[in-house]
Amino acid sequence: MTTKEYFLPQSLDEALNILAEHPSVLTMAGGTIAMPLINGGISMPEMVMGLRQAGLDMVSQSNGTVSIGATTTFSQIMDMDSIPMLQEAARNVGGWAIRNMATVGGNLFSPPPSGDFAVALLALDAEVKLVSHKGERMVPLSEFYTGFMTTALEPGELLTEIQVPVPEGQTAYLKYGRRYANTPAVVAVAVHVVMDKKKVKDARIALNAVAPHPIRATQAEGALVGSALDEGSIAAAAAAAAEACEPFTDSIASEWYRRKMVDVYVQRTLARLV
Amino acid sequence: MASKIVSLTLNGREIEIMVKPLMTVQTLVREQLGYTATKAGCKQGGCGGCTVLVDGEPMQSCLLPVEDIAGRQVTTLEGLTPSDGLHPIQEAFYENFATQCGFCTPGMILVVKALLDRNPSPSREEIVDSLTGNYCRCTGYEPIIQAVSDAAQRMNGR
Repeated sequence: MTTKEYFLPQSLDEALNILAEHPSVLTMAGGTIAMPLINGGISMPEMVMGLRQAGLDMVSQSNGTVSIGATTTFSQIMDMDSIPMLQEAARNVGGWAIRNMATVGGNLFSPPPSGDFAVALLALDAEVKLVSHKGERMVPLSEFYTGFMTTALEPGELLTEIQVPVPEGQTAYLKYGRRYANTPAVVAVAVHVVMDKKKVKDARIALNAVAPHPIRATQAEGALVGSALDEGSIAAAAAAAAEACEPFTDSIASEWYRRKMVDVYVQRTLARLV
Repeated sequence: MASKIVSLTLNGREIEIMVKPLMTVQTLVREQLGYTATKAGCKQGGCGGCTVLVDGEPMQSCLLPVEDIAGRQVTTLEGLTPSDGLHPIQEAFYENFATQCGFCTPGMILVVKALLDRNPSPSREEIVDSLTGNYCRCTGYEPIIQAVSDAAQRMNGR
C-alpha cells in the first residue's frame, strides 16, 4: 500500500476543503469500488479521502421528491419504503455485507456492468447535486454520464445528494445475472410508464451493462408513447432497445448475448406493468 | 506516513492501535493482532471470507479502513466462540458437515449470527439471501443451509 495520507472529513465543508487543497485526492465512500483496486495494486493513490463520516447519509422527503444523501448505503435504502423500485434495485446490489458498505453515490461512479442501482435512478429521472466551494448545481442523471468512467463532475466538486421524484406512473425493475444474487449483470432494466386513457403518455426505459454507462433507451421509449401497452408495442420497444444499445463483451456475457437479452428483458420488464 | 491512533472495541475488549493510512480492518485483526479466523481471500469484497461484524452488521473487512470504524464494536469469530466449547452456530455447522476446508466458515458463521439476531426463525429463502455474499468452494451450499436451520432451532430451544 502506497497511500501516504488518508483523510476522513467529519463534514461536507471539511471534505470540500480537502478537495480544494489536494485536487489529486481519490474520493471514496463505502470503499467497494476503490479498495479492491487499491488492494490489487491497480490503483496506487498517494492520498485518499473517505466520506463515511462526512454526514452525507441523510434521507428525506418533501414536495414529492426523495432526497438521498450520497453516502446512504443500500441497506439503508432497503429499509426505506417510499419508492419500491429503489428497494428492489438495492436488493440487487452485491451481498449483505456489500450492501452495508456500498453507497448510492458511489454506484454512480462504478463502471459497467456495475451500476445496477443507478439504472433505477435513471428511469426515475433523478437529479444529482454537485457541490464545490463555488456553489452547487443540479444535473439530471441522464446528463451526468459523459462516457466510460467519465462524468460531468468538475474538479473540486463533490456529488452530495441524489434527488428522486416520487414516481407518477408504474415502475418495474429486472436484473438478469448468471446466478441468483451477488452477481454482475448481463443486463439490468428499469422502467417507469405513465398511462392516460389506456395509452402510454410517458415512458422511461433505462438499461445497464449494455453501454459504457447506464443509459436511457430513448428509441424504445418513443416506440411506446401513444400506444396501448400491449404485446405489439412492447415487442417494438424491446427491439428498438436491443438495436440502439451498445453492449460489450466481458467474462460475464458476450456482446451478441447481451443484445439478445436486452430484447428479452425489456419485454419481461414492461410485461410486469400490463 | 501519517499514522494515527484509533480506539475501538474488538470482541468486547477496548483497544487502542496505531494504523497506517488506509490500513484495513482485515490487516489489523490478522496481521497486527493475530486474530486469523478472519480470512484473506480475494481482497476484492467478492468472497465473504473476511466478513466481520461492525455493531452487529456484516461488513467485508478487506475493504474497510480501520479509521472509518473508530469507536465502534467489531466482532470476529474469535469473539463469538466461548472459552469452553463451541457457539450453537459452530456446533450446527460441525454436526451438519457444513465445513470442509473451513476457509469460508468464519465469514459464514458471522453472517448467520447477524441473521439469527434479526430473525430467529429464517425461511430457507432468507437464509440463502443472507449468504449470497459468502462463497464456499467445497461442500456445496446445501449442508450450510441445513446447518443454519439447525442452528436456529438450537438457539430457539435455549
